[in-house]
Amino acid sequence: MKEILAFRRPDGRIGIRNQVLVISMVSCSNTVVSRIAQATGAVPITHEFGCVEFQEDHRRTKLALVSAGTNPNVFGVLLVGLGCEQTSLADVKQAIASIGKPVEGILIQEEGGSPEAEARGVEIVRKLQEEAARQERIPCSAGGLVVGIQCGGSDWTTAVAGNTVIGAMADRVIENGGSVLMSEVMGFPGSEHIVAANAVNREVGLQVLDMVSDLRAEYVELYGQTIEEVNPTPGNRAGGITTLVEKSMGNVKKMGSSPVQGVLQLGDPIPHPGLWVVDNRAQGPDPFNVTGFAIQGANVTVFSSGRGSPVGCAVMPVIKITGNPATFRKLESITDFNAGVVVEGKPIPETGEALYGLLLEVAGGKPTKSELNGNFEYAIPREPARKKPRECCADGGV
Amino acid sequence: MKRAIRIEKDDNVAVVAQNTAKGDRLDCSGLKVTAIADIPLGHKVALAPIGQGQMVVKFGVPIGRAQVSIPAGDHVHVHNLEDITEELSENYAKKIRGMGA
Repeated sequence: MKEILAFRRPDGRIGIRNQVLVISMVSCSNTVVSRIAQATGAVPITHEFGCVEFQEDHRRTKLALVSAGTNPNVFGVLLVGLGCEQTSLADVKQAIASIGKPVEGILIQEEGGSPEAEARGVEIVRKLQEEAARQERIPCSAGGLVVGIQCGGSDWTTAVAGNTVIGAMADRVIENGGSVLMSEVMGFPGSEHIVAANAVNREVGLQVLDMVSDLRAEYVELYGQTIEEVNPTPGNRAGGITTLVEKSMGNVKKMGSSPVQGVLQLGDPIPHPGLWVVDNRAQGPDPFNVTGFAIQGANVTVFSSGRGSPVGCAVMPVIKITGNPATFRKLESITDFNAGVVVEGKPIPETGEALYGLLLEVAGGKPTKSELNGNFEYAIPREPARKKPRECCADGGV
Repeated sequence: MKRAIRIEKDDNVAVVAQNTAKGDRLDCSGLKVTAIADIPLGHKVALAPIGQGQMVVKFGVPIGRAQVSIPAGDHVHVHNLEDITEELSENYAKKIRGMGA
């Protein structure tokens, strides 16, 4: 079993970073949060939610804020609210504290205004940062790693080089006892029979098929057309994709060949290590999906992009790879790994092994381009208007 | 020699890594074929003859059915490859759902 140097958390999970976060409870406190972060170098989480939200939306907001704080890469948290918002700072604080994590909270209305809250916040963050600096990395099994896998900004190399290499890496993560999270479930229809056939048992296979049946119905309800009617798109065809299963395989190939352990709803705990599907249906920019992994407690996300992407995350390093050698040369300042060597003739398995090597280095502390460039996005995933919650409405214990 | 990527060893198509002209020699992750048609970047080349009705295999899985006999080196796309995704997924769903709890 491979070892990495990481931070052991009170709940037994491992962290590969030791972030101090400043989290805004509501958009009204965003500016104070940004100013505290600027003054201290802490990572801010700001957003446009937290008040006058319908129940399901608000559950999602709370889940996302609590999960940022409880992510194992986070040492400690300062929560900053206004004082009259829908999000209860006390509830969020209690949920984060319940796993033994240092967490403080301040409200602008109680501190006497914004400059006062900022001054108090800076003081609290500096104290948390001093405590964080005293904690040392210790040897931990690489089996504790939770790794999200994703693609975005695709070109012709994404399926054949970027995602096949991620698939080979995913197999190595699982062989070493770790966990891999796959989402992008809107890209499953067409290859659900392949994913279901890789399920650990019939029940999980049915979970995958049921999720995709539900997705197909939702698609028709939202857009008035079937997925097959609009896919592959004319652009896909021009690029060489002939069939829907072919298009869809380009997505699910990232999962590699390990057995699928189950389908998780956002906020469900990961029952045991292995390959999991996270049913995050948020349609929007790439950070929606990355943030979904952060909510699930992922340590790191590996992201392939043929065209290149700067995407990062407030609580995780995001390792960017490209299957396009020209993109790697052009965008090396935002790209960590050149899977384009596959296009130039290098075998996929050994390239996946090299990517796993980089993953372990990043887990041990090597900064990713996303971190060096200060890409600390945290975009709370929003799904298209859903009339009723799915059977599970996990809310992170809030 | 030009290049194509064969993703899994059982695949009977590879993806060309540059625009390819009829007559170009292609190294497809070790297998050598000569293109018998122009094949644009990112499109598929047949690595061996694929009989009419046989499955076209990419990513190690069937991605569709050959509508006609496809010779080695030919361009494989909408003109000779039928999309049977629904048949593949529905057959599988019927099989697994019919297995009983």
